[in-house]
Amino acid sequence: MASPVDFYQALGVARNVTPSDLQAAYRKLARAYHPDVNKDPEAESRFKDISEAYDVLSNPETRRKYDAFGADFRRVPDGVDPETWARSNRGESNRPGDPRRSTHQSASQDFDFEDLFGGMFGGRQRSGRGQVLGANQEAEIVLTVEEAYHGGRKSLSFSGPGGPRTFDVNVPAGVTTGKKIRLAGQGAQGAGGGAPGDLFLIVRLAPHSRYRLDGNDITVQLPLTPWEAALGTTVAIDTPGGETKVRVKEGTSSGTRLRLKGRGMPSKRTGPGDLYAEVRIMLPKSLNDDERRLFEELAATSSFTARGTP
Amino acid sequence: MTTTLAIRPVLTLEQFARACDLHSEMILRLVALGLLDPARDVNGVLSFAPSQVLVVARVQRLRSGFALNYAAVGLVCDLLDRIDELERTLRYR
Repeated sequence: MASPVDFYQALGVARNVTPSDLQAAYRKLARAYHPDVNKDPEAESRFKDISEAYDVLSNPETRRKYDAFGADFRRVPDGVDPETWARSNRGESNRPGDPRRSTHQSASQDFDFEDLFGGMFGGRQRSGRGQVLGANQEAEIVLTVEEAYHGGRKSLSFSGPGGPRTFDVNVPAGVTTGKKIRLAGQGAQGAGGGAPGDLFLIVRLAPHSRYRLDGNDITVQLPLTPWEAALGTTVAIDTPGGETKVRVKEGTSSGTRLRLKGRGMPSKRTGPGDLYAEVRIMLPKSLNDDERRLFEELAATSSFTARGTP
Repeated sequence: MTTTLAIRPVLTLEQFARACDLHSEMILRLVALGLLDPARDVNGVLSFAPSQVLVVARVQRLRSGFALNYAAVGLVCDLLDRIDELERTLRYR
């Protein structure tokens, strides 16, 4: 049973709300939080709260009782004076074993929200026997590139109708943005004994300072000095799978993409993606005298033109 | 429930109605309204993919949650599917 929420608060209305404003408030909230419209796992309990609140407040009889007795209203027999009720409650406990309680109407503490909710989902206009599967829910799971590359356990929690729910999710290695992780039976509750829906976690990879993803391929920038690019070298680079070495052939220009086969995101279905080291030739902001002299010498000696023949 | 269904590739009208906890007449009505899309063999016998059980559940939830008629539920389902598709496209950009 959900925590006792004030029904007027749940619907965001004043206590003296007119029936038509009450309905308008309920309809707006229902459109926003219906489990088929709002797939957020936290929308389910909100929808139940507003449905329960509206169910009580839309009926003048139950609304009067609720106004008089508050959260206790379901345990109050007909025709009891609010004052008497409050006094008798102050004087005695309401332990479940209290014999007096059992003389109250059966709709009292045994009230099960499923009954009400089952009514919401098909009870009134039921065309069959009443079991309705719960809706699927979706939530985003944000992972770093490294977490996605290696996979492993990740803990997540959502507030649900029965309090917060925590999941220890097994993230498969190599998931990329848009991939769904299915948690069977963890979606919205069914009605009338129907099975719950599934919870889908939709992966989103957080932007990374160095790695850029394109499908299963990863691009990483490889800054080089002009002489490294001109003469060739071997450079160590970090990849999500650990450090590796990349060989730069002599005469490599800026923008060249050096492919490291199979060093991208792992994938069981298509095989691992590739890692591309994208060459960027870097220069010091200012040259010292020696550097300037050598570059000037190079400029005078070389016949190379970067923009073809003029 | 999902696992049992997953083993069987297609369901007959009666099996499908049982899985949905509805009368088969009701299923035929949903088909006639274009809310369900069963396969039809040469003799006109219907067969249903197990995933259509989820479609029926959504139709029921939307109908009772918003007091909609079945024609309106069809429209809402189509719009929700379109939003899903758009959100999916956005996610990959």
